[in-house]
Amino acid sequence: MRLRRTKREKKGTGCFFKKKSSLSPFLLLAIVAFCPLSSFAEDYRPKIGAYGGELILSTTSDPKSFNPILAKETSTTAITGLIFEGLTRTNGITTEVEPNLASSWEVDDTGKVWTFHLRSDVQWFDGQPFTADDVVFTFNELIYNPHIPNSARDIFTIEGRIFKVEKVDDFTVKFTLPLKFAPFLRSMGQEILPRHILQRQVLEGRFNSTWTLDAPPDEIIGTGPFKLVKYLSGERLVLQRNPRYWRKDKQANSLPYLQKLIYLIVQSQDTALLKFQEGELDYYGLRGSDYPILKPQETGGDFTVYETGPAFGTNFLVFNQNRGYDEKAGKAYVQPEKLRWFTNKNFRQAVAHCIDKGALIDIVMKGLGSAQHSAMSPGAGFFYNYNVKRYEYNLERAKGLLREAGFLDRDKDGIIEDEEGNDIEFSLFTNSGNTQRVQIANIIRKDLEQVGFKVHFMQLEFNNLVTKLNSSYDWDAVILGLTGSIEPHFGNNVWQSSGQLHMWYPKQEAPATSWERQIDGIFNRAVQQLDRQQRKKLYDEWQAIVAENVPFIYTVLPNSLFAVRNKFGNLHPTSYGGAFHNLEEIFIK
Amino acid sequence: MTSYIIRRLITFVPLLLAITFVAFMVFQLAPGNYFDTLRMNPQISEETISQYESRYHLDKSPIVQYGYWLRNLLRLDLGYSFATMSPVTEVIKKRLFNTFILSLSAMLFTWLIAIPLGIFCAVHQNRVSDRFFSALSFVGLSIPNFFFALVLLYLASLTGLLPLGGMRATDYESLSALGRAWDLLRHLLIPTIVIGTSSLAGLQRIMRGNMLEVLRAQYITTARAKGLPEHRVIYIHALRNAVNPIITVFGYSLSGLLSGAALTEIITGWPGLGSVMLQAVRSQDLFLVMGSMLMGGVLLMGGNLVADILLAWSDPRIQY
Repeated sequence: MRLRRTKREKKGTGCFFKKKSSLSPFLLLAIVAFCPLSSFAEDYRPKIGAYGGELILSTTSDPKSFNPILAKETSTTAITGLIFEGLTRTNGITTEVEPNLASSWEVDDTGKVWTFHLRSDVQWFDGQPFTADDVVFTFNELIYNPHIPNSARDIFTIEGRIFKVEKVDDFTVKFTLPLKFAPFLRSMGQEILPRHILQRQVLEGRFNSTWTLDAPPDEIIGTGPFKLVKYLSGERLVLQRNPRYWRKDKQANSLPYLQKLIYLIVQSQDTALLKFQEGELDYYGLRGSDYPILKPQETGGDFTVYETGPAFGTNFLVFNQNRGYDEKAGKAYVQPEKLRWFTNKNFRQAVAHCIDKGALIDIVMKGLGSAQHSAMSPGAGFFYNYNVKRYEYNLERAKGLLREAGFLDRDKDGIIEDEEGNDIEFSLFTNSGNTQRVQIANIIRKDLEQVGFKVHFMQLEFNNLVTKLNSSYDWDAVILGLTGSIEPHFGNNVWQSSGQLHMWYPKQEAPATSWERQIDGIFNRAVQQLDRQQRKKLYDEWQAIVAENVPFIYTVLPNSLFAVRNKFGNLHPTSYGGAFHNLEEIFIK
Repeated sequence: MTSYIIRRLITFVPLLLAITFVAFMVFQLAPGNYFDTLRMNPQISEETISQYESRYHLDKSPIVQYGYWLRNLLRLDLGYSFATMSPVTEVIKKRLFNTFILSLSAMLFTWLIAIPLGIFCAVHQNRVSDRFFSALSFVGLSIPNFFFALVLLYLASLTGLLPLGGMRATDYESLSALGRAWDLLRHLLIPTIVIGTSSLAGLQRIMRGNMLEVLRAQYITTARAKGLPEHRVIYIHALRNAVNPIITVFGYSLSGLLSGAALTEIITGWPGLGSVMLQAVRSQDLFLVMGSMLMGGVLLMGGNLVADILLAWSDPRIQY
């Protein structure tokens, strides 16, 4: 989960439904409920494919590195994810954790000692066998190496303590965790790197400049279905089938079927669209405004537009509830009267009633979006709570809530005041450069002004906004987005009151409110709870608390839309995995 | 002349120091730094980020940071680009050639059209042809580059005559040397026209204005009066006198040779420096931006020097 600065995001959703404003919320709920994710698994039976052919994709930016330990941005992982593999992986259809380089695993009674049995038929690109030494090396000498700055270390550290990783035999590895850690199996998707190639670089202290973009492609050694053969900065990446790949189809033919993968680096969406229409690209991720252009061309252009429901992640409006005192400036971060408004639950709920989600979807997303009610995206599947409190668009209800809390227009100037006669006036920021978010902010502002708030809307450069949220805390209200995950714990840093991304009041020493204390407790308990159903109960409760107290006032999500040429077999797009989650099984018909 | 050039070269040093110092400080005025983007990732801890910051001295005051940067510069080390995780020189080197050929072809396009057109319009002042070409070059000036690029790409997709952006065809490696050159040329055409037309109008107007001024001078009347053929009057007597400001402009435009044109590059998919630098500025990739500033500064000063030398060569009245 990370802060989003662009509107194009990874695909995601629950089911294939399209939100039409004519459907009542109840009906929608029913559709969602009767469309369980697991049903996809039965639909999909991979066919035996034919070898050869290429798939041409586009990406908006160059990767940052080919070293999966050093770089984790999506532009990088899109490529390294094909070259390297982890012990487990997340199934693109069911979103369950499934075996990958490890064929099985078990956990002891304490829930802290995990033993992984590795596949014995895996080879690196150069023919060397993959063994337990590589796993131990990846953790002990790379991730936990103090001289290698990397973000994986933060995932594999619990309360300041690291995991103990030991080799049992050539194909068995034992992980000893300091505490129980529920998302452990999912985070074992961490890419494993070859010891026989990298050991020397680590010893000589050169690992930080290993496998950068200048590295010769044939030196980048992984176990994945594809290997890099060419990289031209700003132009394209070419990947080729790994003939040594271990995964086989049902008739024991080795995968993948495709011979070549080409990523064209196309920075401009409009150019990518033209290229797709011309047949130069096999895949195109649509913006809402592209839908009316591409949909009618489907038959003529021999492609299909897929809509897989709301994207992952969240879009929300948040008020600054920071109760802290700025020692340097000698004043509170938030003016006392503003703090009184923003910490008032009625105030926030009233604002939630001012969000016209239907209009946002129709105007900003051209009808191709979904309303968001819960702290998770409906695309998140298992942990998503369908039954949280919803705030329908109702300005009268908003005014009523405000009146109850003592906010009303006493001097009849069109602007409501608090009990001390201060006009309710605040500034609303969002990051510039994200046109969709700016449009959303403008529509919301208009509704807020109708209720009687005075709102100053301003666009800020992304880094400037981050500084305000992170260190100077001089903001009133912000409209932002966070990327989502199917694993709620990965949002720990947002929801724990001590977290640095607990935006409305970060890094609290003790929870400021009882509901924040409750959420802290839930996250601490859930991460220790290895039973999925029990965990879901906890996270359901968390989503209900968030919906009641609305620290984040959720808005709408764009739907994932993409177009793929019809020539591919075994294509089975899903909410979580997008179009090519089963890339090794895809072939040309 | 030689001593003049040496003197000029010596003044480069304090000038360059001033340019980079101001650029460095102005850049530091923007809040935050590159690692703020990481800060918003819940899976990265504060410690990891401060580790990154202290590695590149970003936790020090701007003056101290500038000192570190300068010290590395003396060792010919431009520093490290955070975003691409490689040395700045590598990042620049990779795109330098691409940028250079695009800028060069755009410059040739502009100059080869603007100069003759300017002369033509001056000679045919206020006639229909003058009005027509002036109007045309103003249209070129007024169309935003990114839009013009899109229009051309759209036309290319309709006619299928030209490739849709990029620099090389996917099968470039399998082509013969001649085939490669042809392929490159085809890819160059759209960005060249887009960038070229945007500066066409300005240059054409300068050329036209200068010519008009010179053509009104008494020595031109004298030249005509003594019976010189009109083409000699225009190309020998008038042009030599009208060309000085153009040479100065030429010197300036040399500095643009390696700076790239971000928007056009982004739309036409040309892998040049412009889009890299734009991204660097937006993400506060400090050392990459400084590298580009330094390069731009050197080229600007060098271009001016070249222009001054050319002026002395073309105009005997100018002496140093």
